[in-house]
Formats: sequence, C-alpha cells, structure tokens
Amino acid sequence: MPNPETAEDQPRQMMGAPYTWMLRASPLQWVRPYWHKPLGLTTITAGALLFPIISRNDANIDSAANALAFAALALGLNIVVGFAGLLDLGYAAFFAIGAYTYGAFASFQIEPAWSPFWQPFEWLGLVAHMGDVVHFTVSFWLMLPFSAAVAALFGVLFGAPTLRLKGDYLAIVTLGFGEIVPIVARNTPSVTNGAMGLNGVAAPQLFGWSFGVNATPYYYVGVALVALLIFCSTRLKSSRVGRAWMAIREDEIAAAAMGINRVKFKLLAFAMGAAFAGATGTYFVAKLQTATPEMFMFPVSVMILVMIVFGGIGSVWGVVLGALILQILQSWFLEDLSQWLHVLGRLVHVDWLQRVELSSSIEMIFGVILVTMMLYRRQGLIPATRPVQALSMTEQTAHVGSGGSSHNFDRLRGLGTLDREADEPLLAVADMTVRFGGLVALRSVELTVPSHSVVAVIGPNGSGKSTLFNAVTGLVTPDAGQVRFAGESITRLPPHRVLDRGMARTFQNLRLFPGLTVLENVMIGRHARLSTGAFGALLRLPGTKREEEAAREHCLEILSVFGNRLLPRVDHVVSSLSYANRRRVEIARALASSPKLLLLDEPTAGMNPAETQELADQIKGLNQLGLTIVLIEHKLDVVVRLASKVIVLDHGEKIAEGTPDAVRRDEEVMRAYLGRSVAVA
Amino acid sequence: MPELLSFRAVDTYYGDLHVLKAVDYRIDSGEIVCLLGGNASGKSTTMKAIMGVVVPARGDILFEGSSLAGVSIAERVRRGIAPVLEARRLFPRMTVYENLEMGAYTRVRGPDFDEDMERVFTLFPRVQERLKQLAGTLSGGEQQMVAIGRALMARPKLLCMDEPSMGLSPAFVEQVFDIIQTINRQGTTIFMVEQNANMALSIAHRAYVLQTGQVVLNGPAAELRQNPMIREAYLGEMNVS
Amino acid sequence: MTTGALYLQQIINGLSLGAMYALLALGFTLVYGILELINFAHFNVFMVSSFIAMWALELLGLSGQGVVLTGFALVGALAFAFVVTMVVAGCLGVAIERLALRPMRAVRGTAAMITTIGVSYILFNAILLTVGAESKNFPNPMPSVSWEIGGATLRLREVLIWCVALVLMAGLHLFVNRTRLGKAMRATAQDAEAARMMGIDVDRVIITAFFLGSALAGAAALIFGLYYNYTSFIIGYSAGLRAFTAAVLGGIGSVTGAMIGGVIIGLVEALGGQVFAVRWTDVIIFSILVLVLVFAPTGLLGRAAPTKS
Repeated sequence: MPNPETAEDQPRQMMGAPYTWMLRASPLQWVRPYWHKPLGLTTITAGALLFPIISRNDANIDSAANALAFAALALGLNIVVGFAGLLDLGYAAFFAIGAYTYGAFASFQIEPAWSPFWQPFEWLGLVAHMGDVVHFTVSFWLMLPFSAAVAALFGVLFGAPTLRLKGDYLAIVTLGFGEIVPIVARNTPSVTNGAMGLNGVAAPQLFGWSFGVNATPYYYVGVALVALLIFCSTRLKSSRVGRAWMAIREDEIAAAAMGINRVKFKLLAFAMGAAFAGATGTYFVAKLQTATPEMFMFPVSVMILVMIVFGGIGSVWGVVLGALILQILQSWFLEDLSQWLHVLGRLVHVDWLQRVELSSSIEMIFGVILVTMMLYRRQGLIPATRPVQALSMTEQTAHVGSGGSSHNFDRLRGLGTLDREADEPLLAVADMTVRFGGLVALRSVELTVPSHSVVAVIGPNGSGKSTLFNAVTGLVTPDAGQVRFAGESITRLPPHRVLDRGMARTFQNLRLFPGLTVLENVMIGRHARLSTGAFGALLRLPGTKREEEAAREHCLEILSVFGNRLLPRVDHVVSSLSYANRRRVEIARALASSPKLLLLDEPTAGMNPAETQELADQIKGLNQLGLTIVLIEHKLDVVVRLASKVIVLDHGEKIAEGTPDAVRRDEEVMRAYLGRSVAVA
Repeated sequence: MPELLSFRAVDTYYGDLHVLKAVDYRIDSGEIVCLLGGNASGKSTTMKAIMGVVVPARGDILFEGSSLAGVSIAERVRRGIAPVLEARRLFPRMTVYENLEMGAYTRVRGPDFDEDMERVFTLFPRVQERLKQLAGTLSGGEQQMVAIGRALMARPKLLCMDEPSMGLSPAFVEQVFDIIQTINRQGTTIFMVEQNANMALSIAHRAYVLQTGQVVLNGPAAELRQNPMIREAYLGEMNVS
Repeated sequence: MTTGALYLQQIINGLSLGAMYALLALGFTLVYGILELINFAHFNVFMVSSFIAMWALELLGLSGQGVVLTGFALVGALAFAFVVTMVVAGCLGVAIERLALRPMRAVRGTAAMITTIGVSYILFNAILLTVGAESKNFPNPMPSVSWEIGGATLRLREVLIWCVALVLMAGLHLFVNRTRLGKAMRATAQDAEAARMMGIDVDRVIITAFFLGSALAGAAALIFGLYYNYTSFIIGYSAGLRAFTAAVLGGIGSVTGAMIGGVIIGLVEALGGQVFAVRWTDVIIFSILVLVLVFAPTGLLGRAAPTKS
C-alpha cells in the first residue's frame, strides 16, 4: 500500500522538468479550427449554380428544385431532432402553415370587403382595391420571412404546452399536431378552400418579371434558400445556442444544472425548425401554385425524418445530402430503374418484372431505408460527430503534470469572488425536508456554509447527501425548508437560475454530455456567463466572436487547473475518457460558470490514492483562491485535509456538525458510521 | 473447505471504461466474505459479473469448479447463486407473497417451495404478517427482510448481498447482520459488498479490498481490522497529523 | 328519435368503439410498461390484422354482406376468425420484435421509436401495394337481430363485441395476475434489472408482451371490421392515435387503466360526434391527449415513471 506521505509527494515528482514547457505554452495550441474546407465549398457552389446550364432539361431542373425544398425541410427538422434531440413527427404541419400563409394571400382566397382600413396598405403596395373587395398583393419575397415568422409562432404555440414532456410523449403529441393541421385546413374552407385546395397561387416576381412555370428561377431560389439555411444551421450549431441544444439532447438534467433554460431553448429549437419549414412552405406553394391538405400529411413528415436519418442526424451536410439523394432517387432514378426492370422482364419472360412500378413503392423504400439505417448505420451517411484522434503513446504517458501548483491558478479570474462580503454565511439551508412517496429522504436539515470555507457532508450511502445537493440546486423540489444564497432566497428556483446566481455542482454518478468533447462540455458550463442568442449566433458580429474566443480561452485556462491531464484531450469525446478524467471534466465544467459556491458530490470516487491526493490538492488550491466549497466525500482523509466543518447525515437527519476532529469523537457518528462493534466497545 | 466461487483474472469494461482489472477472488463453502471499497471502485460490477449481467472481457468466473462463461442468469440462479440487490429493488406494485414467488422463479413449484416459505417466515415473522401487502408500501427495514427472503426462496448455495445495511436504521442494521450470520450458520455461503466496513468485518471470515477496480488487499477479517490503511480509510479512525 | 334516445344510442356505439380501443390500447401499454417504448408499429399491426381477419372470413366462404349465419355456424365462424387473426397478428408482433426491435434495445434515446415508425411505414405500404388503396368490403355474417331499448337500437353485433372484449380482457387480467409468466411480466415492468437477477428470462417476457399486445390488436381489428363493415390501408392512424390516447388517459403501463381509458375514449368519440361535428372528433381526442399528458401525465391509474439515475 502506498502510504499517504509518499502519495502526497507523487504529483510533484511526476511533474518532471521536461514537461514544464507544456504549462507555459498557450493552451490554445490544442484547439484545431473546424470550419469547412473552402475547396469543397467552392466545388459544391459551382456545381449547384451551373446545374441548370448543363442540364437544360426543364423536368430535371424542376425535380432538382423540389429536391431543394426537401433539403430545406430536412435542415429545419435537423435543428429540432438532430441538434436539440426533440423527436418531431408532425413537422409537415409547419410546412403546411408556411404554405397556406403565402397561398391564402397570393391566391385571392381571402377577399375582405374594402374599407378605409386598407387604405394605408394600398399605399404601401401590399393590397389592391378591386371592386368592393381587397386583393392581397404582398410580394413573395416579403412573404418568405413573414411565413417563417408565422410558422415559428405556431412552433412556439404547439411547443409551449408540450415541451415538458418526455421525448417519446413529445413524439406522439407532435404526430397529433401533424394530423390536426391538415384536418383544420380541410375544415376551414374560407381560408384554405378546404379539400379542393388553393388554386392559382401567384408566382413570384423579380423586378416585374414573373417566374411563371419556368423551373430555372425556382431552382435558383431553392439553391439560395438551402444555402441560407445551411449557413444558419452551421452558425447555430457552433454557437452558444447550438451547444445548449446539444446539452439538452445529451442530458437534460445536467443541462439545467449547467444553467441552460430548457424551456427557452427547446422552444427556440421548435421555433427555428418551424421557421425553416414555413419559409420552405412558401417557396414550395409558390412553385406548385397550389396547396391541398394532402400535401402535408403524415407521410411527408416521415419522409423528412427518413432523409435526416439517412443523411446523418445532427449533421448539416449529411441531411442535405440525404434529402437530395432520396428526392432524386424518387424523381429520376426509380422511373429509369422500373424501365430497366421491364426490359429485363421481357428478356427473361418474367411477367411480374414487366409490371413493377418502383416509383409507386417509394414510401415502402423509405420505410425500408429507415429501418435499415437504424439497425445498421445509425450515424447516417455523414456522421455528425467528428472522429477522435487517439493520443500517441508519448502523449498518453507524458502529460501527468500536476495542476496543484498555484502557477496555473493565477489566470483564473473571478472564481469565488463575492459581490459584497457580508457577515451572513454564503449558503444557509434551513429546515429542509424532502419526501419521496412515503420515504423521508431529508428531515429538517440545517446547513450553513461560511464564505470561503470548505464544508464536508458525510454519512453512509442512502443517508440523503445527494438529495441535499439536489434540493439546494433545484433539481428536487423540497417539501419544506428555505435556501438562502449570497443574501437572497433561492428556495424553489429552477436549476438554471440557481446556477446563474453562482452555485455550480457535480454529480455523484457523473452527468457529462457523453457524445460531446471535453471542451464542448466545459464550454456548456460557461453558458450562463455568455449572452449570445440566436440572432447573435447567426450574425456573428465582432462582439460575438470576441465572446466566443474569450469563453474558449477561459475554459482552457480552467482545464489547465488539472495540469496536462485534460489539455491534450480537449477534442476527445468524454465517453472515451478514464473515470478520473471524467470527474475532472465535470469539475472543470462547473468551474467554467465562475461560481461563488461549488458543490462537489464525491469528487474522488473511483480515483486511486495518488489521484485522490492530487485532486484534493487542486480543490484546496481553488479554495485558497477564494472559492467556497461544499463536498460530499467518503474518504475521510480527504475530508480531514480539506474541510473546516463537517456535517454528518444519517437517515436524512443531521446527527452531528463540527470540526473534523470534534465530529469523529461524536458517539452518534460512530454508531452511524462504525456500527455495533465500536459503539459497544 | 471446498472452493465455491472464484474469479480468475477477470477484466470487465463499461463502454470504454476499464472497471474490473485482473481481479481474483476465492470464496469457499460456508464462508462469509466481504468486499470493501469506495463508491465506483467496482463492487457492484463484481456482483453483476457473478450474476452474469456484466460479462467479463477476459478471465473466468467459476462456480463449484465449472466456468460460468455463457451460463444464463436463470441457470446461475438454478445452480445456487441468488442476489440481494442494492437498495432492495423489490417489485413495488406486487404483493410480498408475489415478490417471494419471484425469488423462486427458476424452480419448479413443489413441496420444498412451502418449506422455503416457512424458513423465511421463521427468520422474518414480520414478513408473514405482511404477505398480502404491496411491497412498495413497506418500511425500509421490512423491505430488506423481503429482499433477503426473496433471495432465500431460490434456495441458494451462495447469497450475494449488495450493501444490505444501506439506508437502514442502526438498530435494524444489527438485526440484519445477526440474520446474515444465522443464514450462514444454516449452511449458505455469503459474499457481501458493504460500506459499513466495521460491521461487515465483525461478522465476516475474510475480506477483499477493492480500489479503482483492483484488489489491493485481502485476508482474514480479523487481520484487516487491525490494518492501519483499512482503519483509516474504512473504519473512520482519522489520523489527523 | 328523442334527444335522450339519441344519446343512449351514442352510448351504445361508444361502448363498442371503446371495447375496440381498449383492446388496442392494451398493446401499447403492455410494451410501454416493459420497454418504455411507444410502439408505432402497433398502429399498422392493427391495420394489417383487419385484412387478416377479412381473409380468414373469406376463407370460410364469407364475403361482403351476402351470407348470414346463425347459431353454431356463426359462433364457429367468428371463433375461427378471432383465433386465426389473433395468432397471426401475435406472430407478426413477435417477428417485429425479433427482427427490428431487439437489436435496438441497448441503444439509448429515440432510435428504437424511430425504428417502430419505419416498421409501421413498411406494413402500411405493404398493404397499400398488395391490396390497393380502395377500401374493402368486410364480411359480416351476423344476422341483423336487434332490440329496442329506450328508443335506441341495440344490435346483436354490439352485444357480441362487448362479450368478446370482456372475455379477452378478463383473460388478460387472469394471465397477468395468476400465471407464472404473467407475474414475471409485471415484475419485469416494475424493475427489469431486478427481474433479470431473479432468473426471469426478460427476452421471453418481452416476446410475450408483443405477442399478447398484437393478438389483442388482431381482435380489435376484427371488431373494427364487424362494426364498420369495411377496412382499408388507412385505418391504422386514427384508431391507433385514439387507442394511444386511451392508454395515456388510463395511465400508460396500467392494464386496467388501458381498459377504462379505451371505454372513455370510445364514449367521447361517439358523444363528441353527437355534440360537435364528426369532422372535429380527431381534434377533440387529440386535445384530450395533450391535456392529459401536460396536466396529469400519470393518467387515471398510472404511476409516475420510475426515476432512473
């Protein structure tokens, strides 16, 4: 057995001189830029722009324009399903809303009686006075963003009541919405012309020239639309907003605990996805110049889902590719393939081969593709996650540097600093009671944590320690009790607000975002301290860029707390890390929110004595910087080393409190911890 | 005493995580062996490997001299291994009687079923009083009795107990440990994961200490109780230097 | 008809629909209870079953409304149709589980649910491509015997539907509560890992759940055919959505809840069509689904989902 003294020395010995340069070099060296290769982009753009000139076949260009509409839809659904992980089975509803928004206005379906009310609109050129009625003449180009906004509004309306639901329930509710919207369209003929569908939807005009039925201009509008949506998707994905979505997808509870307002970001995903579909609906209906309820039924939602599954859920370029391939398969290839089969049938005299019509079985093919992809290639054609390069042997063995020295901490700004120093304890929990069914998990627990102290909570497994953390951070609603933090009551605040106030935590069973990288995990921890919203992410103004840069740098500095244990692995998916490193990432993620108070739930569980010692040193270092810490810990040597005060829980009740020394002499503690033999002895 | 269960250099993985690392255990018939270690050290994985819920990547687990590789959970229970799960894990919306029945699931229902039921009632008279009650409505202590009773219904040779004292009141913990000794004296071998090290060592014959998936210490329980490292890490004698 | 009689008539209709929805809802609830999976394939297992039922009756030489049977011939023909439909439907459910869903069991997230959508879609198109889009006349061998009750008409087929549904539900209740496998099923639904550790063969339990659920969907499909006298490739969605609503309303995972929920939804459909217009029935039922999910997610008899860490 290593004795504690040598264990304490170990990290210092391991941080040999040859590796000190690692600490001095900029942490940014570990980050690779990940924008797309310009050459590929140029080729794709050129191909897309030149296609009609090369093809010259109006039918082909028309199919391509349709395919682009579905690529746009796939991009929208990808935001909801791929980024935020919300399975939406009624996505065609938003497509329908966008289509009818333009269609109803552009087909003279709605003709209100003329009144002076309309006069200003006529001056603006939005309506025309025709006899006694109003004709809407709003331009297609104006309707495009307007339909997007209307669809987004419906996205929020549909989403708001349902987003609290578990993933699978959400799916069935969206399926219902997808069924309802065509029913409403069919049953409100005044707006939609019912089952007959809208007719004579006006074609878009550009500088007075009408697109008419010529496919080429629609094709270019489609290219522009898809390009715009790809741009929006990639910008959103690599922003604070995209990270928040992915966090929700990976682990909702952890996302909330890291300061992400789940309702807000889920609604944003819904609205954003709906907006994409709304704009696409307008484009599609303008191109077809008609809209019927049948165009937006469940099979359309499924088709879009198949496209993103095929291309790669969450992968922007993947879903575009998936949509294009499946659409082109449908409109070009199946016809040809059927013809070939007929010829083959005639040659070999097989009757049924001559009658095969593959294009009518396209939906069957979609079903088969969906099941096959789910069974054999869930990541799709172009997987969303980047492959991780493994560390070389030297890298793996070399970087065992310690972060324990204060050298690394100099750069950590604002950790644990309080707005105002008060006599009041930083955290005060009073009379906290939590019940689960009949079981009392916590009974009237009191806890005070002075500023800049380390308080340890100990007690046997099942004594309520983690429940105390959950109740304090808002993950569990207490049945009674108050929590005051930094002079204000935070009782019953939702978890993301608690984090926002400056209280961050780790979890006993680790709740990292498993599919994301180390740096992404830590950047999500920074979420509450950043302000970029959807528009900021799309525009990416210099301010936003600076914020991202600063956040990245800040997170790398925090990772440097652990020496070189994590820095070489910033781009590794966390599920590939060792247990000890996962624990470190979780602490780094919590630290990234610049907390005043850090709650650590068994930070050293699963670590060997040397690692435990190293982490204890690092925690000590953080505390010396001013950070207040509450820690649940079973390893009593760690408790003794770090804590100035110990709280002992047993059966949900506080049975002792005091200095480590006083607590270990307490008879009741001995009974709880040590059982009969000691108590009797 | 003949060997009942042994681990031969067992490695297990959970995803990319290497959980148990070349672990060896040996448990002889008639023993009470306890397994100590912190949270996330691999104790529960050990229990799962014995039951066959976790499959070793390397190494072998032997029961009564024959390998358990490829042996179904049901067959393991039939051969005489029964678990008392962490946190009891009763079927909350089934009656106490039905829970006991589930313990005997792998056996053909015969006269020995009633015999075993009687044995459980003798050990836990309270269980008999609550037979018709839903298990979820029992107190924690009563649930633990049913959980142990449920495992005994399989008529096991080896009882694998995962933290039998967790969440129980001190008075009840003593009672449970007395019963464990009684069961052992009636001829059932016991392999027990326990946080309450002092308690466990006081009734165990031998113990293993697990740390980050490796056995770092093993020996007779009485010896381990005197080991300074154990005293400090698990028995709570904090040496403030 | 007086208003009272109208409503009585709708209650009679609603109970028949309710019996059908309850049987269909049981399939959702059995599978969800164990796997926490919404099985969208169930929608179209029901639809496919209605064709199996039709073919089974046609096998006996019964087609359209032309042939009317009485006495033992009627009982025998219907018993044959129910048994064949339920067995074939059950096997279809088992095949879906084995081929498409078992490999997905270890995959977290919505992947398994997406797979059931794909399977559902394949079934849907298989019927569309082989049978065609036009709806089929469903054989109805029952004599048009009926009774007048308070101005409303109670037909023989309604009584028969109720009897069949009651027998099946009682049978399921007995199976789940009295048999070894049924108890194992409940145990697995309550704590799958603990059940495995008791030596319960969870794979077998899951297969049983799929078989029973699909067989009951088969019975529901035959009832649908006898009630509406037609079937079509399209019937899966609205019936499935209603049955799912019934399962949620009763408390998903609860067998008794599914039965009660089914009857309530049947009554809501019948009476809602009376009070509002029939074309809004889907909207009403769907609103119930959303309201229950949002405000009382455990349903009438359900339990809160176990928190899994």
